[in-house]
Amino acid sequence: MENGSQRIIMETRDLSKVFRSGAIEVHALRDVNLVVREGDFLAVMGPSGCGKSTLLHLLGGLMQPTKGEIRIEGINISKLSDRERTEVRRQKVGFIFQRFNLLPTLTALGNIELAKKIHGNGYLNAYGIDEIIAMLGIRDRLSFRPAELSGGEQQRVAIARALINQPSIILADEPTGNLDSRNSQQVLRLMRDLNEKLGQTVVIITHDPEAASLAKRIVHMRDGQIFERTPLAFEPEFDGLF
Amino acid sequence: MENIVAANLRSRPTRTIISILAVAVGVILMLIIGGITSGTLNDYLDRTVAVGADFLLKPSGSSVLYAFTSATLPAKLADKLMEAPGVGVVAPVLSMFSASDFMLIFGVDLATYNRLPGRLRITSGRESLEGYEVIVDELYAKSRRVAPGDKLKILNHDFTISGVCRTGAVVRIFVPIKTLQELNGTPDKATIMFIKADPRWDVSQVHESLQSRYSQLSILRTTDSSLLLADTPMPGLKEFRFTVVFVSMLLSFMVILLAMYTTIFERTREIGILKSIGASRGFIIGMIIKESAMICILGVALGTAMSFAVREIIVGVFPTLQVHLTARELVVSCALGLLGGALGALYPAYKASKMDPVTALSYE
Repeated sequence: MENGSQRIIMETRDLSKVFRSGAIEVHALRDVNLVVREGDFLAVMGPSGCGKSTLLHLLGGLMQPTKGEIRIEGINISKLSDRERTEVRRQKVGFIFQRFNLLPTLTALGNIELAKKIHGNGYLNAYGIDEIIAMLGIRDRLSFRPAELSGGEQQRVAIARALINQPSIILADEPTGNLDSRNSQQVLRLMRDLNEKLGQTVVIITHDPEAASLAKRIVHMRDGQIFERTPLAFEPEFDGLF
Repeated sequence: MENIVAANLRSRPTRTIISILAVAVGVILMLIIGGITSGTLNDYLDRTVAVGADFLLKPSGSSVLYAFTSATLPAKLADKLMEAPGVGVVAPVLSMFSASDFMLIFGVDLATYNRLPGRLRITSGRESLEGYEVIVDELYAKSRRVAPGDKLKILNHDFTISGVCRTGAVVRIFVPIKTLQELNGTPDKATIMFIKADPRWDVSQVHESLQSRYSQLSILRTTDSSLLLADTPMPGLKEFRFTVVFVSMLLSFMVILLAMYTTIFERTREIGILKSIGASRGFIIGMIIKESAMICILGVALGTAMSFAVREIIVGVFPTLQVHLTARELVVSCALGLLGGALGALYPAYKASKMDPVTALSYE
């Protein structure tokens, strides 16, 4: 199904991020070039501190790069103001976090609805809440607050929240990092289904080889750089970029 | 849809309740202190009108209330005024403030004073005011549980209650003017004079005639208490009211500022989550403002309701005190309570909206 002609959803060119603390500079990312196409399922692997999370935050427009470009569906978000990046994030990116990051004061349904409200009601092709809830199997958990849900249930609610606006890309930061193996498998299966059945583009950051094995391709990071890619059977053409 | 603002307030019930109570206290302060001020003043002016005099003579430039604190008019002026055309009755009054009773005492010549339409109507005891005799009104007698024949300590001297008059007289305690002049050390002095025109004369003509004769004195028509009030500079009153309003508003402001400031630090991670799912700065500012508005609305509503209860308690405990809760003061207090809260929410809201999402998300 994938091929090189598929639309580019996300692309980075020479992406670098330097954190400064007084005279100390930490190069979190160095000249990272990456292309994510529509329908892709990319896993980013690497040891702690290699820059995976920084990469994810940059891809999602949560921070500005020190150098280089990030394009989401052709929009260079590295040049945008905070307000404009927020708008792009709202329209095109869905986040899933290791710690689920649900709002504790709202119920599961409240968390999902809030995302929809923030997004606005007029967005085209938005999934219906009912379909997403049914797909994730959380219908009977909707009235519960996060503290009353298991980790797996919380992560499924977080996935529902990320999907509610049919983002162009889902960015998942260690989505199984806080789950037991049973719940991890459930969540990973869901993410794979999202990718395969709905064509949802996914970038997942993980330590977990099992999680990464579900991806269509894997890139490995070390010291802020991508140093290896693992081509899979259905890997698309990458135009010389990872 | 579940309301995030209501959910946030519900999730921290103690702080929400304390914040609501603090805003309510501010509103109660504004309403009750303002109510006591205007209530006392209006009640006094209404009772001044009820004396039934046509004119009130006082030193020029002095306030009706202020005039009652100094004795600068020669009492003999009354005799000269009586010679003016159209003047029927002149009742000189020496007023003093009794700190122990927290009210004004009038020194009057009962025979002259009782020639005014608002004469003292004795309901029990004798119509007599000589030496160290005192006449009190019914409300005073009831609140102090005193009756004719009882002793009363006034200005550190023992007086005997000769009679109790009907409530509605200009003040609640009357003593002989001569006695009060002695106690005050101001013999033959008065602070004001009530003047009644001869019924055969036109009141306006008499007024003009008196004003031309005594241009250095202020001769006010007493037909309307609001006219008296308008003509009466009251030193410090405006400043006092402003201070009360300012302190009350400051209370709302500080409470909301502190509550919201603490809230946004506690909810740093939640703000990061909201930003990560695309919430704009406007959304976050709106959320904080709405939360504070909700606290303020509830605080103002509670404060208003409690003010009525407090008024009932005050009037029950201090029957001589008047607390006027007017629609205007209610509206102003509510508006200022809300304004104080809204201003208090601005900085925390701004700070929340400026939070870096990555830092906020990693906040423990």
